[in-house]
Amino acid sequence: MKDILRFGAILTIVALVASGALAWVNKITRPIILYQQEMAFKSGLYAVLPGSDNGVIEPVLEDGQTIYYRGYGDTLKTRFLGYAFSTLAKGYSSKIQTLIGMDSSGAIISIKILFQEETPGLGTKCEEIRSGETIPWWQAQFAGKKINGVSVDKDGGQIESITGATITSRAITDGITDRAATMIAKIGITLNNSF
Amino acid sequence: MIIGKEFIKGLYKENPVFRLMLGLCPVLAVSNSVNNALGMGAATIFVLLCSNGVVSLIRNFIPSKIRIPIFIMIIATFVTIVKLVMAAFFPDLSKSLGLFISLIVVNCIILGRAEAYSSKNRVFLSIIDGLGMGIGFTLALIIIATFREILGNGSWLGMELFGPNFKPVLLMILSPGAFLTIGFVIGFLNWFEHRRHIKH
Repeated sequence: MKDILRFGAILTIVALVASGALAWVNKITRPIILYQQEMAFKSGLYAVLPGSDNGVIEPVLEDGQTIYYRGYGDTLKTRFLGYAFSTLAKGYSSKIQTLIGMDSSGAIISIKILFQEETPGLGTKCEEIRSGETIPWWQAQFAGKKINGVSVDKDGGQIESITGATITSRAITDGITDRAATMIAKIGITLNNSF
Repeated sequence: MIIGKEFIKGLYKENPVFRLMLGLCPVLAVSNSVNNALGMGAATIFVLLCSNGVVSLIRNFIPSKIRIPIFIMIIATFVTIVKLVMAAFFPDLSKSLGLFISLIVVNCIILGRAEAYSSKNRVFLSIIDGLGMGIGFTLALIIIATFREILGNGSWLGMELFGPNFKPVLLMILSPGAFLTIGFVIGFLNWFEHRRHIKH
């Protein structure tokens, strides 16, 4: 009995010191990590709205929250590039954050997956860049597709799902479609059905 | 000199990968490029130094019956610190190595040295042992990564070595390449040692 108390006490002390040290390091690194995420988001916006890095990206707010962005190719806002918004989808083993760039006719310009923690070698293929190329091959197939017409081949759509990662593929694709429905209503685009 | 001996042994005679056969999982997974190998090696050395140091510091207060949970708590804390620091200051490396850094917690080298050495020796020697083992691990990683990256990608540390006509052996970048390379290197080292002992 005395041993159990002693062991319990020692384990508690070790756990307290460990947690304390971690809390301290977390406090220091948290603002820097948040900054990194902001930078990644910003460069993601430039990636899904090509040309916007020379111009302006304007957030559109609703109730104090940014719901989407408008991108222009020049600082005088005469060359309109398109809209950008993000979605958070429930993947296989993580929440997947995707940025979507969309032009004024409702066609996807480009997508960029910002965050995922799917199964390495399977789901993570959604971000894989083949040697010699610059953008992830799986994400490249979204370019040019109608925003409300993307679904994986297993559901009758045009997006080739990743072998062995159907759930991941479907989560990302459906996440885009779901969010797009809300966004189109808010932005006020009538979709041209002749694609 | 004892300090020298404790350090050198981790590099070759008791190399954790090629002799002690510990930590093979991350070695196989992260040796596909020299850049990844260096990042993983650096993180492992840091965790090894810290955990060896702390375990040795409190070695007289750790009851034998609960030593494993205490070792793991100490190691996990340092690994998490490495993860946070990497995410903050080296985001690109964090993206490519993130998952494997977490696996350092169960890297047998760290738990193995805590159990076999730092729980029984003085702090300074434990840190030296950690340094030798960590560098030995990193050297092993670099050797394997060199083979795999040159043959499988035509580059070393990202620098293209051959012209556009080079057809890389893709197998080397994938898992079979890892197993083949480590097998050949261990086989060669065993043969080398065998020949050395015949001569004497």
